[in-house]
Parts: sequence; C-alpha cells; structure tokens
Amino acid sequence: MNSSRDQIEAIASVINNTRENLKPLSINFIFWGCLVIVMSLFNYAFPSLIESTQYGDVLFWTVLPLIGMILTIYYNIKYRNKTGYETYLNRVIKIIWGVFNLSWIYIIALSFTIKSFHPVPPILFLLGMILIITGLIIKFKPITLGGIFLTIFTFYLNFNPGINLLLVNIIGVSLGMLVPGLSLFYSKSHNKSDE
Amino acid sequence: MNKLLFNPIRLKIMSSLINNSECDFNYLKKITESTQGNLSIQLKKLKEEKYINIKKKFINNYPKTSCSITEKGKIKFEEFFKILITLKENGK
Repeated sequence: MNSSRDQIEAIASVINNTRENLKPLSINFIFWGCLVIVMSLFNYAFPSLIESTQYGDVLFWTVLPLIGMILTIYYNIKYRNKTGYETYLNRVIKIIWGVFNLSWIYIIALSFTIKSFHPVPPILFLLGMILIITGLIIKFKPITLGGIFLTIFTFYLNFNPGINLLLVNIIGVSLGMLVPGLSLFYSKSHNKSDE
Repeated sequence: MNKLLFNPIRLKIMSSLINNSECDFNYLKKITESTQGNLSIQLKKLKEEKYINIKKKFINNYPKTSCSITEKGKIKFEEFFKILITLKENGK
C-alpha cells in the first residue's frame, strides 16, 4: 500500500464498511407506537380499573412508559455493542430522543404539581417537533409528515378541549409514530444488512 | 507526508474514526485485519500523538475499549487526505 491511489482506496473501503442502519430507530418507533396505543385502548376500555384508586391513572401512565424507556435504552445499548461503532447520525438521533425523554419526565412531573395541567397536549406537541427534526435529519419523509401531522393535530386540540385525550393519543401516535416506524422498517434505502 | 498516517493500520484506524463518533477495539481489529497486539501498539502511538482518545470500561466483568478521534486527529487526517489527492492527480 505505497501509492497514493492504494491509500485512498484503503480509506474508501474502511468508510464503506460503516453502514448507516436505521432499523433500530424504526423498532423504537414501532415499540412506542404499539405501547401507547395498547395503553390508551386499555384505559379507554377499562377506565374504572385504571382510575379505581386516587393515583391509579398517574401510576399507569408513568410506570409503564418508564419501563418502556428502560427497555428501549437497553435494546439500543445492546445494538450499539453488537455493531461495535456509533455513527455521527446515530449519536445525533440518540441525543435528540434523550432530550425528549427528559422533557417527558419534566412535563409529567409538572402535571403532578399543577392539577389543571394535562400532559398529553404538550407531550404530543413535543413529539411532533422531535419527529420533524428526526425526519429531516435522516431524510425520511413519512417521519417528517408524521411530525407535521402531530403538530397540526395538537394545534387543533386547543380549539376542541372537550375531545377525548385517549382517542387523541391513539390517532396521534398511530399516524405520528407507528405508521412512519413501519414505513422506515420496510424502507430498503434506509436499512442495510449487517452481513 | 505525515509518517504516522503512512502506516496502513493506523490509516485504517483513522479512516474509521473520522467516519464514526466512536469505535470499539474489536470493530477496529476487524476493519484493520490486524492482531490484538499490533492494534494495541498502533492505537497507543496514535494516542501519544493526541490523534485519538481511548476510553476503557468494564461491561459484565469484561474490559471494553472504545476510541474516538480528536480535533487534532481530524485536522491531521484531512491534511493527509488532501496530500493524497494531490499526489493522485499528479499520477504518483
């Protein structure tokens, strides 16, 4: 490997070895989409069960998402250790969603202290913004569109305060996360084999 | 010409690190097709020149080494790459 040409080829082959695989991101989207939809449906179908105690619904909407957060963090760390490298794109996405998790905890904590404050609209708005940023960064239109939909949907909520927030959750998360997540999962241009 | 980057293993290490925010030792071993001992020596040389950072931690009682490129490393790699392009254009 003495000539400049050989060295440039060596650099190119190493760089080509790094695969920008966004499948784990899509699995995160699908997981969270399914979890929130199932939780919302369960709450909608059995409200007396969830709201049987004073803090029943609070615990339901706090403990399960926290378990979900731990599971997704564990999955992402496992995947990172398996590949042996972290691309700059993956690092940016990790930071953005980490900030979303922290903001979620902040909004939930705020809803505990201010009784009239409902956490669903600000969480959905924030989720919409994060989805737009993620979609634009990875250049994947369904995620950007999902984020735009969620943002418009949250704006609409302000003019219809009587709407059932569980149904809002189901519609918002289905079109904002689950559908774009499935679309990313099956996108050939954004997922490359690990082989 | 930067003698440190002229070595093929060190060049592959730097090429991988310029493209990723972090790489594990085992991944670099696979990419460079080198032995554990040789890779350790080359990483040490790059670290001594402050081209890379090396982080060591234990996961499930197993040591795990991960590397990342420094600002100095990025500058030196870019300079080296520009020289390579110039040489290639001149047919050397």
